[in-house]
Amino acid sequence: MALLELRRVTKSFGGTAALRDVSFELEPGEVHVLAGENGAGKSTLIRIIAGALGDYAGELRLGGRALHFDGPAAARAAGIATIHQELSLVPALSVADNLLLATPGSPLAAVDRRGAREATTRALAELGLRIDPDTPVEALSLAERQLVEIARALTTDVRVLVMDEPTSALSAPDAERLLARVKALAGRGIGVIYISHRMDEIFRVADRVTVLRDGERVLTARASELGREGLLRALLGREIAAPAVANTAEKRPIRLRVRDLACDSRPRLEPVSFELRQGELLGVAGVEGSGASTLLHALFGDGARIRGDVALDGEPYRPRAPAQAFARGVALLAGDRHASVLAAQSVLENATLSSLRRFSPAALVRRHLELAAVKPEALRVRLKAPSLDAASGALSGGNQQKVALIRCLLARPKLLLLDDPTRGIDLGARADVHALLTELAAAGTSILFRTSDLTELTALADRALVLFDGRAVATLERRELEEARLLSLMMGGRA
Amino acid sequence: MTEPRSPRAAESAPSPDSVSRASALTWLASPRIRPVVPLVAVLLLGAVLNANGAFFLWQTQRAVLREIAVEGILACGMTVVIVAGGIDLAVGSVLALSAVCFAWLTLPHGWSGLGAVLVVLVVGALAGAVSGALVAFARIQAFIVTLAMMVFARGVAKELSGGQKISNYVQSADGHFVNVPTPPIFGVLDGRVLGGELSVVTLIFAATVLVTWFVLRRLRIGRYLYAVGSSFEAARLSGVPVRATLVFAYLLSGLFAAIAGICQAAQETHGDPETGLGYELDAIAMVVLGGTSLAGGRGGVCLTLVGALTLGYLQKVLSLNAYSTELRLMLTGAILILAVLFQRRVSRETE
Repeated sequence: MALLELRRVTKSFGGTAALRDVSFELEPGEVHVLAGENGAGKSTLIRIIAGALGDYAGELRLGGRALHFDGPAAARAAGIATIHQELSLVPALSVADNLLLATPGSPLAAVDRRGAREATTRALAELGLRIDPDTPVEALSLAERQLVEIARALTTDVRVLVMDEPTSALSAPDAERLLARVKALAGRGIGVIYISHRMDEIFRVADRVTVLRDGERVLTARASELGREGLLRALLGREIAAPAVANTAEKRPIRLRVRDLACDSRPRLEPVSFELRQGELLGVAGVEGSGASTLLHALFGDGARIRGDVALDGEPYRPRAPAQAFARGVALLAGDRHASVLAAQSVLENATLSSLRRFSPAALVRRHLELAAVKPEALRVRLKAPSLDAASGALSGGNQQKVALIRCLLARPKLLLLDDPTRGIDLGARADVHALLTELAAAGTSILFRTSDLTELTALADRALVLFDGRAVATLERRELEEARLLSLMMGGRA
Repeated sequence: MTEPRSPRAAESAPSPDSVSRASALTWLASPRIRPVVPLVAVLLLGAVLNANGAFFLWQTQRAVLREIAVEGILACGMTVVIVAGGIDLAVGSVLALSAVCFAWLTLPHGWSGLGAVLVVLVVGALAGAVSGALVAFARIQAFIVTLAMMVFARGVAKELSGGQKISNYVQSADGHFVNVPTPPIFGVLDGRVLGGELSVVTLIFAATVLVTWFVLRRLRIGRYLYAVGSSFEAARLSGVPVRATLVFAYLLSGLFAAIAGICQAAQETHGDPETGLGYELDAIAMVVLGGTSLAGGRGGVCLTLVGALTLGYLQKVLSLNAYSTELRLMLTGAILILAVLFQRRVSRETE
């Protein structure tokens, strides 16, 4: 009998189905990998299992009994522990205190410090971790924190352990150790649901794999029978076809020349070299933590010191602050919307912020100049806003992204750096953004864009640079851009 | 296919009673009306408890406008700092330091008024710039930096004055105490214009409000101040000179504190190192009462003007009706919370 079973689960968010009729079984003692591209429904599924989403159709059975959790606490009490990508440890508290927080009891009960320390040492030893229970969590490495998080989950009686990309921020040896621990936990009879984007890892850890695509279950198979080819086919949903369009930028002058650029920001970037021509769209493919964002921010003068040589239009280029990058005609659209949109400020104020000097001769802001520049751009990107004076925070995600894009455009960049420009925005807005980028490139703007969406990458990019674990693993020409190949490379496999 | 039934249709027809209540709330909550509601409430209270008509006299209005001037000038600088996402606890102490400096230069040292004003303005701006630099470059929390500056500036004021009020009764070289003449600027700043109908400090306050409004709403740096207060990270990534902007905010606050200090010295006709205690809190209260959020990125100096008037009239209503100081303090505290709760509640109900 299955340990955990979902029967025909359907969940919609405001009309769009995130999960359609999905069934899923987890056996005791197995590691079951959940795979799928962004937006395939993985997180919705685990949120249902973790009790974070109660409003769904279908049935959830644990140990043969039908259950309906009315909150994460209920799921925990039933023996389901979830480890999210964002760790939930309190950084300033010691390891022992963090574990104590997870144990149920009255907030006013006296704390048995010695008992807690001993229990912590035991729990950590089980995971092969030898650290002083009094160490504050903030002094630990990321890998150690990840293990402490697991130890904390295991302080209660756990039957199902859900792990959402636990190795995405870990180095290869740390990830390897963690995988060994996960296998050991499964050996004790715990059922593990494991989400991963890394090909090697999936086949290293999985007993079975379930692939989701567009909210539906595509298949569940034993990992040994599925194979890498089979997994890629299931993830993409079709056989692989290569688009063959010539790179029109091939003959144009080089705009950006990067030689051995490296950066110690986290996630770090190891020396990478590439060139970008005028009017060229270079896609940077890489999952979260691959160093792709670090590359964009390094070229924008943001973050840790960079090493290596960069030349922009033949002149040495080494910005030490975003303002210097703007002065050289480089603009960045940050991936995190909190870092790209000023929610309290109006659309107009957001739009002109990076190029305000042009709209404020003699330091006086001239509204008519701003309006004259922003209105046509708003039309061009099809911005939907009640007015240009509306607070940007009140707009939809796609329109907020468009506001941030207008800000970049008004800075008249020669080089545009875009960090996942279409993340979390709807299909209509996404098409608008794609059209705009193509138009900009045709007009000579060089564009370096990171994306986690392979369809977007193959549709837009003239060339693609693939990063994995901080290293550039491949540069693919337009005719070589195939989703399967990209996906494999992004997951650390071979082309 | 049948047309899907809409159960909302029946529910969405509201009763006439709830319509009038909702529209009244919408009106009260509109951004233009909301900030003046507490002020109007205080004025109505004053009209009811009018102390035999004393509340309606022009000299009462004139007194309120004079009494809020010094703290109102501080509140203007505070508005700029709060809009930029910070706080300046040092303004009361910088005011005292400026008052002491001004008296020290003009009375025992016999400087001309204009020279002393210029030096004191530089001192105030410098104190603000130091706070700003520590916030912007050393990335220490504004609360801590300006708390330290508050203590430090008070210390300098006491050191400079020897812990005594600096008046025109000074010790001359031969050890005798003599009365030195008070420079005319004292009389001018403490005087009235328009046939004695308006205090000079009120005019200075009005000018400060105008300057602040111009900085925040018309100048390029005004946009930068709002941007930095709204999201430091997003402003930085947009190419805003975030550090210079922060230094500017605190510098302006220090400059305004110096202006307030000069006015204070002129009104008291001496430089008192103990003056301005707790003024920073009144200045913050004026900003908050106007409806500017301490979170930064929103608000403005017009709101602060309304907040200053609300606080000033509240004090006047309570003192005209001979409430004790103790009761006045308690009522002021309670009304501050009520006003903020009202603004929050109303804005939430209509959003």
